Amino acid sequence: MATETVAGAAPDMNEWLTLLHITFWLLIPIVLITIASLLWSWLLRRRVAHRTRQLQRELSERQQAEAALRESEGRFRDVTEAASDWIWEMDENLRFTYLSERFYALTGIAPQHVLGRARWELAPVDLSSNPQKWRQHQEILKKRQPFRDFIYCASIGDRPGQGRYLKVSGKPIYDGQGRFIGYRGTGTDITEQVKAETALQESELRLRRIIDLVPHMIFAKDRNGHFLLANRAAAAAYGLTVEELVNRSQSVVHEIDEEAQRMLADDRQVIDSGASKMIAEESFTDHTGHVRIMQTIKIPFSEPSLNETAVLSVAIDITEQKQAKEEVARMRLYLKNIIDSMPSVLIGVDPWGYITVLNQPAEQACGASWEAAQGRFFGELFPQLENQFEQVRQAIRLGSPIKTPRMTLEDQGELHYADVMVYPLIADSASGAVIRVDDVTARVRIESMMVQTEKMLSVGGLAAGMAHEINNPLGAILQGSQNILRRIAPDMPQNRAVAEAIGIDLDRLNRYLEQRRVLHFLEGIREAGARAAKIVADMLSFSRRSESRFTPVDLEELLETVLRLAASDYDLKKKYDFKRITIQRDYDPALRIVYCDKTEIEQVILNLLKNAAQAMAEEGSSSPTITLCTCREPPYALIEVIDNGPGMDEKTLKRIFEPFFTTKEVGSGTGLGLSVSYFIVTEQHRGRLSVTSKPGQGACFSIRLPLGRET
Amino acid sequence: MTHWVLIVDDEEMIRENLKAYLEDEGLPVMAFGSVTPALGWLGEGVRCPVCIMDMRLPDIDGNSAIRILHQLYPNMEFLIHTGSSSYSLPDDLRAIGLDDGRVYQKPLSDMAPLATAVRSLSSRENRS
Repeated sequence: MATETVAGAAPDMNEWLTLLHITFWLLIPIVLITIASLLWSWLLRRRVAHRTRQLQRELSERQQAEAALRESEGRFRDVTEAASDWIWEMDENLRFTYLSERFYALTGIAPQHVLGRARWELAPVDLSSNPQKWRQHQEILKKRQPFRDFIYCASIGDRPGQGRYLKVSGKPIYDGQGRFIGYRGTGTDITEQVKAETALQESELRLRRIIDLVPHMIFAKDRNGHFLLANRAAAAAYGLTVEELVNRSQSVVHEIDEEAQRMLADDRQVIDSGASKMIAEESFTDHTGHVRIMQTIKIPFSEPSLNETAVLSVAIDITEQKQAKEEVARMRLYLKNIIDSMPSVLIGVDPWGYITVLNQPAEQACGASWEAAQGRFFGELFPQLENQFEQVRQAIRLGSPIKTPRMTLEDQGELHYADVMVYPLIADSASGAVIRVDDVTARVRIESMMVQTEKMLSVGGLAAGMAHEINNPLGAILQGSQNILRRIAPDMPQNRAVAEAIGIDLDRLNRYLEQRRVLHFLEGIREAGARAAKIVADMLSFSRRSESRFTPVDLEELLETVLRLAASDYDLKKKYDFKRITIQRDYDPALRIVYCDKTEIEQVILNLLKNAAQAMAEEGSSSPTITLCTCREPPYALIEVIDNGPGMDEKTLKRIFEPFFTTKEVGSGTGLGLSVSYFIVTEQHRGRLSVTSKPGQGACFSIRLPLGRET
Repeated sequence: MTHWVLIVDDEEMIRENLKAYLEDEGLPVMAFGSVTPALGWLGEGVRCPVCIMDMRLPDIDGNSAIRILHQLYPNMEFLIHTGSSSYSLPDDLRAIGLDDGRVYQKPLSDMAPLATAVRSLSSRENRS
């Protein structure tokens, strides 16, 4: 500083020298002073330098500290700015005074909406919907207590509907004197999290609804049988709600131990093997005691929240399905039984003639089972029906049945008649036809017999018209021959008187007549006349008569009369003696009066007795017996004539009631007896006449007469 | 007085044979081929307790003839001898005492039962 002053005091040359002189003198002290001051100054400078170094050191230390502070602050700032949190402060009146920058970035809410306001003022909607929560919060703040994770929904600004969910924590702050000056804390926006949670909840709820909607039982259990989850159907089966069922053990809720044990074993198998299991059918008794048939699928089930594997099951109630199946099977069997019960031969064929169905009579007819016959051409198994193939095709084409009546078939040399009907089948999936074959041989025979009967009726009608004309000459023949024989008999007094008067010896005349066989011829005339009369009488029986001859008849009395008549009908020529036959009577005491034509029925029974006697005589049975049996068999009175004679074979049985059919030698019968009986019983009395017999086992003729009087 | 047996039958051989048989049995018989002459003969005041009547006759049918005769001669008994197979007794004839036992169907291979019947009816008349 002194040097600067000397340099400034030398403006002129003259003055320079004077000045220099003066200055010289002056300079010495100055120099001295200067040296001194230089010394001082050096000393001072050293001290200053030292001090400066000291200061510099202090400064640099401070700077370092400041830098560290700045760095720390920066780091803090960075942390806060980078974190999902922000920092807030509020004053002692609990009004926001500070919000870190992140607040806006995270929430999108401008700080000016918040600063100067209390927290609850930010959340009017939340406040009104959840006052309890806010009351507690305010309580805490009033007590100056710290708080953590207080969640609320702030709805501020122009989007009040779309509030932000904030989670805040804070603690009170105090100044150096320990005075409460407000709160400071952090905040996080958890809106996305809340939304995600809500969405998850909704999704779970939706899923829950879905599984509850499923009618099948869905449930998961651990290896101890505890329900981990269940749908409504599963809970309902135990009579519980889902909440009641979950976390309970099956052994507690399931009443049938055996079932619970079995299910537990299945569950463990799935858990242990790690493989799913399908249980096709299992019984499950629900809380009402109703046994259901379930089809269950079990799969291993693991969830992060579970320590060990559980089992998830879906059980489907197949009870009705099974019942329906059984019903179908039952129905099928039922229908099979029905078609089997039909006497007709039924052959189901497809449009190409291949067998689809056979009923039992058809199986018997072709000697093959349904299973064996299926898929074979029907003509192969029923060669006699092969020509029906055209009808099958036609029936299917036209959609209407085609009938072939009275087809003649040959079966083991015997002629049979069959009505063949082809019905088209029109089903949804397949078409085809059913061939129905009815053996009508018996009917044809009966019909031909009816025709015969009709013939006989016309014979009867003719006979009735002619009877008078024929009977008169027959009467003349019979009565004439009787008179002749009588009038040539030598023992008759009138004859003797006349003979004597004209001088003839009657005895000699008789010898003559005998030698010339005149008497024999006369007897022959008489017999021939009698036989002709019998034929006319039989033929007359074929005429329908009115019921005016029907009277109440004591059946026992009638049978006894017939037995008496039969006993007197001892016939040398026919070589049987009725008296040798044992008669057994088995009369029903409850059956006495029958309304019938007495003489006709007498004729019928007499005819049966005679036939029986004759048959037994021919066979020469040692103890011939005829049993007469009556009983009530509403609506009929049943009269049975049973013999122990030789019986009949089937061939004879079939034709026995045919007119002019006889097993007797020519001349010993007209062949009309049984057909007349048949006619009398069936046509005139509206009853039935039948016979059962086997060769060597006798015969039983049954007459059934209506009990009630027909109007 | 003679107890006649009256026979009315249009078939001559029947008539004759019946007459011969009954006469051999010792019964007096008068036979006619139709009803009218029989009525004439009866009108002469003969005693005739029994009549054998044919049904199909040329003038009057047998049933009507019986009705007439019964009206005229209430004590007369009737036997019916018919060739008609479908003959059945009318109720009014049953009412006057006839029954199926009185009906004889032609042809008669044996006349003895008829003769017995005639005799029994004739003696009934005698008793009365």
